[in-house]
This record gives sequence, structure tokens and C-alpha cells, in this order.
Amino acid sequence: MAQATHTKQAAGTTTTDAGDSVKVVGIVCNWCSYAGADGAGTARMKQEYELRLLRVPCTGRIDPLFALKAFEKGADGVLISGCHPGDCHYSEGNYYARRKFELLDRMLPHLGIEPDRFKYTWVSASEAARWQKVVNEFVGKVKALGPREGRAL
Amino acid sequence: MSDRQAKIRELARAALAEDRVDYFIGWKQAYNPSEMIPAFVRSADEVDQLVWNPLAHHNLTAFLKRKMPDPPNARIGICVKGCDSRTLVALLQEELVDKERIYVVGVPCDGIVNRRRIEKEFADEVVDISFAGDTVTAVTRSGESKEFAKGDLLFDHCRTCRYPNPFYADDMAADPIVEPDDRTPMWGPIEEFEALSPAEKDAKIAEAFETCIRCFACIHACPVCWCWDQCVNRCRQPALVGQRVDTKENLMFQMVHMFHVAGRCPSCGACDRACPVEIPLYLLHRKMNKELYDMLGFEPGVSLEEKPIFQTFDVNDPFGEH
Repeated sequence: MAQATHTKQAAGTTTTDAGDSVKVVGIVCNWCSYAGADGAGTARMKQEYELRLLRVPCTGRIDPLFALKAFEKGADGVLISGCHPGDCHYSEGNYYARRKFELLDRMLPHLGIEPDRFKYTWVSASEAARWQKVVNEFVGKVKALGPREGRAL
Repeated sequence: MSDRQAKIRELARAALAEDRVDYFIGWKQAYNPSEMIPAFVRSADEVDQLVWNPLAHHNLTAFLKRKMPDPPNARIGICVKGCDSRTLVALLQEELVDKERIYVVGVPCDGIVNRRRIEKEFADEVVDISFAGDTVTAVTRSGESKEFAKGDLLFDHCRTCRYPNPFYADDMAADPIVEPDDRTPMWGPIEEFEALSPAEKDAKIAEAFETCIRCFACIHACPVCWCWDQCVNRCRQPALVGQRVDTKENLMFQMVHMFHVAGRCPSCGACDRACPVEIPLYLLHRKMNKELYDMLGFEPGVSLEEKPIFQTFDVNDPFGEH
């Protein structure tokens, strides 16, 4: 936490330390959730800003290990979002992905990572308001849990 | 027990003598008669080295993933137990093994003895282990001898075994033994672990994986983990697993293995037995199988027609938001 605050100050910005306390990684698909997030941004919808987005072509590209790697590298939460089932740009990528994410979701608590630190969901390009809600709820929960420190993964 | 051994020898001898296989993979005694190792038998007069007893823990199908492509036209005879046959089915489902070029001898299995449990009872080296009914007698180099009940020495996954008879075999070494009516899987020590709090789990996982030396024994012994040079655990790009040796990297290493065999791993326990530092890998692999069973009612390697579940999907999968 101290380190994060330091970095921010060095960059010449002023922030309250509460906001800097967690790092959340969002992995989103190019076609739906990224566009939805873009829409939310364009509409200036207020969102928690601890989320860092990674854009991938499709949720089918996301290996559950990406999320684990994010946790290993110090993420406090990982949010995965893509097109709604049935709406995949590549027809079926998210159907394959859904099984993998569900297994990951069930395995994470087994590794001592609280269930609220991981979420997979579906947000379409037209659902800016839903994106705002998903982000605020998820990041809010991660903030409530606080940073992960000295953990196995 | 010796009936099965005699039958294995008989079947192997016939297969080799009739030139139906180029070599036959079974189990034999190691230099230390209390240990078993895999045996590659290449001629009919060598078959008498083949042994079957409750120490034959190796899942020999691990050799198929290695041997099938090379030599390219080898015809292979192989012995499988119930759990081994499930990994064989997983390989057949993915067409990694050519059904036409293997000759499978199925061995009904009453449970495999964990030799490490016996070793821990003695300060000296165990040089002989003999079996009479349900009694196991172990003798050390200095002549000390102890008797154990076989039931106390079995591997955990043998205690909860629901498939003692091979699923897929060309010939059987004995009549199938009585199978449990209730095939609902049992998960043994996983349930204890699940009852722990997140912090306790974290601490236990950290302790368990701290000692991993990343020797790849678990991966080499695993019949369904077959990427070899393409394994992300071995490459630097993508740098999913780093070279740093610490709990996090070790756990990532194991998670790569676990996620990559998900849907094909029947928890045969080969990785656990291969681990030189005795990491309880079942904590990951059996938990994974438990969750797959809860998610989709799926059990790996029980049907030749089924596809591994991560290579297919159902639009009505009953999880996630719709």
C-alpha cells in the first residue's frame, strides 16, 4: 500500500490512500465487454478506478491460468467478462470459456483465495450501465476484503 | 494374486510368440525385491520376469503417450489396472493412442499398497515385502520384520476406488471382481481440507508446495499430460511460470499441470506417487475432479464415445449467468 501511494505521488497526482489499496485486473473480450466499458467511459459513468483492463479477442482465448498468474503477480481481484452466451462474435468461444471459468471459480477458494476476489460475467456492447454496476460491485467487494499480502498464490 | 500373475505371463507370452506385439509393458521386481518397476519385455522367453502383486503401482499408460509416436509402427502390449484404464480411455478419446496398435491386458485390482507407509515404520531399508491373504509382511536388511494389515497400507484413492476393473481391455488377467453398486465418487481427505478457513487453506497450500523442486516427475509420470517440449512449464515465452523457486511459482507450475489435465485426469494418483518430496497433489487433482463432477456429473475416462469436457460444450450448461 505504501509503495502504491509512493508511485502515485511520484507521478504527481494526489489520491487518497484508500483508493490505492487494491489492484484489480479485468480481462475482457474485444467485441462486447470492452465496447461496453468504452460506452460507460464515453458516457462518463462513475466507476471504481482500481480496475485495469486487458483486452483479448474472445473469452475463449482466456486461459484460467491468466487469472492465476494475475493473482500470483499481486492482483487482489480478477474480473473476466465477455459476450453473453449465444452472442459470441465467434459463435461459441464463450461456451468453451464458461466451463473453464466455472472450474477456476470453484478452485480458487481451495487455494485460499476468497470467492469475492474472482468473478466471471457477461456484459454486451450496449450494456454500459450494467458494466458500471458490475465494476462497482466487484471492486467494492475486493476493497472490502483489502489487499492480499504474503499469500501462497 | 499369483493367478493373475500367471495369466499376465501367459497372455504376454502368447502375444510375443505370435508376433502380435513388438514389446509388452508390465511390472517386474526392482533390484530391491520389495520394490516394483515397469518392465519392457521384448521376447517370449523374457516374460517370466513379469510380476503382479499389490506393489504394482505404476500407471504404465504413461509410456504410451511417450511411445506411440516413436517408433512409429510399434505394436505395444500393456497391462492396465482399473484406474490406469481410465487414463488409457482418455488417451483413446483424444486419438493420441491408436487402438489398432495396442494390446491391452486388464488386471482387476484389489488396491495398491503404499510402500512409503511401510518404509516409514522402519529405520532400516526394507528389502522384502510378502503378501499372504490380507497380511503384509515386511523385512528389513537387518532382519527386523513386521506384519501389517493390507487395508491399513492402501493408497487413499484405492480406499475410495469405484472402478477396480479395467474399462477397456482386449483380454483380462482374471474374472472381474465385484464392483460397488454405488458408483457415486468418494473424495476422501478433500472434504477435511474444504472445511478449513481461507487463511488456513492458504497456509496449508503454502506449506505443501514450498518444497516442490520442479523435477517434472509428476508431469512425466502423468499419462494424460503430454505436451512435452511445448509445455508452457518449460518455456520462457510465454513466461507463465518463472524460474524463481518459491511457493507461488511452484503453485503456478502445479496449476498448469492441473488445468491442462482437467477433464482427462481420473485421479489415478501417479503424480502423487512419483513426487520425490511427497507433495499431496491429490489436494489439487481430486478437488478438480470433485468440482467437475458437481458441475457436470462428469467422470473422466469412463466412456470411449465421450469427449473430454473442455473440448466440447453444451449451450445449456447449468452455471454462470445466462
